[in-house]
Amino acid sequence: MSRRDAMNDRPGDAALAAALRALPDAAPMPDLWPDLARSIARRRRRPLRYALPIALAAAVAFALVLPRLVNRGATTSQPATPVAHVTAPASPVDELSQLHRRSQSLERWIAAVAARAPQDGRDLMAAVEVEDLIGLVDVQLGGAHTRSDALPLWRQRVALLEDLAAIRGNGVALAANGADGEAVPASLNLLN
Amino acid sequence: MRSVAAAAGPPSRFRKRSGARASLRPYGAARHLLNPVSAASFQIDVPELVLARARRGDARALETIYRAFERPAYTLALRVVGDVESAREVVHDAMLRLIERIGQFRGEAPFWGWLRQIVVNEALMHLRRSRGAAFEELDERDEPPGDGPPPWLLADAAQLERALGELPRMTRSVLWLYHVEEYTHQEIAEMTGKSVSFSKSQVARGGSRLRRLMDRQEQEAARCLAATP
Repeated sequence: MSRRDAMNDRPGDAALAAALRALPDAAPMPDLWPDLARSIARRRRRPLRYALPIALAAAVAFALVLPRLVNRGATTSQPATPVAHVTAPASPVDELSQLHRRSQSLERWIAAVAARAPQDGRDLMAAVEVEDLIGLVDVQLGGAHTRSDALPLWRQRVALLEDLAAIRGNGVALAANGADGEAVPASLNLLN
Repeated sequence: MRSVAAAAGPPSRFRKRSGARASLRPYGAARHLLNPVSAASFQIDVPELVLARARRGDARALETIYRAFERPAYTLALRVVGDVESAREVVHDAMLRLIERIGQFRGEAPFWGWLRQIVVNEALMHLRRSRGAAFEELDERDEPPGDGPPPWLLADAAQLERALGELPRMTRSVLWLYHVEEYTHQEIAEMTGKSVSFSKSQVARGGSRLRRLMDRQEQEAARCLAATP
């Protein structure tokens, strides 16, 4: 009841809220994913039927609007001022606390998906390897006595947790291949 | 001077490992990551990597998100609509909407909050559609209760669950959204298309009605016990 109209609450409301929150979870429902996956597939096929008419309509609209845009551009054009998006480099303290938060949020995510997502043997092995590496980093963190010692270890911990999240979520194929040309996860570099 | 690492420290569950036990088994300290959090908790942070893939329509990323949120979404839907079949429909429709709209998610607020809002909207829409009657009125007896400890302090979860199931659907929904999901009266009013005072009265009267229902259960149980030879 942190952000609400707690002033309006009656005595006993906090106890009721606690009792309601403590109710057991609903029993698991049947898996809806196969049905959802079929719906996604249907929706993806559907646009193809209309793709040509939509493309033609867009081309006509563009042809009508383009001359106006060109004219307006000729009368009002001014040299564009580039907008610099420069972010100040984070101080080590900020970065450390950001890394703590990121680490906690990744752990919550991994814990949430771990029991729900199906895991094959390769995923499981890769996950165990990464968890071991995280364990090793944690042992090193236990012995880090200064901020400058701790910072790179926390960076490494977050990178490993991101890899673990990817493995947990998307399977070892994603982690190993870095699908769509993305970088190969740090943990796999460490493993090899 | 206390070290930064010790002050900020690794997560508390790992600190023990820097001691004697850690030296025995330095690896595999992160086994706790296998333990799930409460399935009903919506507050799950989805990694950017997964979100980015889901936005591009990656089916595995979408499935991952579905699997992470299916239990909390179902629990919330069930509390609002009140029956298993409708709750399944709500989750199905909410997940479809999520898939359609995930490209619009800008990341300004947590993803879980965005998804939870979709589930709540779907559930409330379902309530409005079903049986024509959107809102049910509570009678005048649902006035503030007298003294004495509220029965939910003493009762078990099954009793509370039964009493909750007997509440009018909209009252139960408002009660749940306010007390458990922590929406404000203003937010509930906007979502239900009613006034702030409606939300307040449903919370107040719903609590009173819950108390009376539980008291009645208690009395019936006592009568049954007394009648048993």
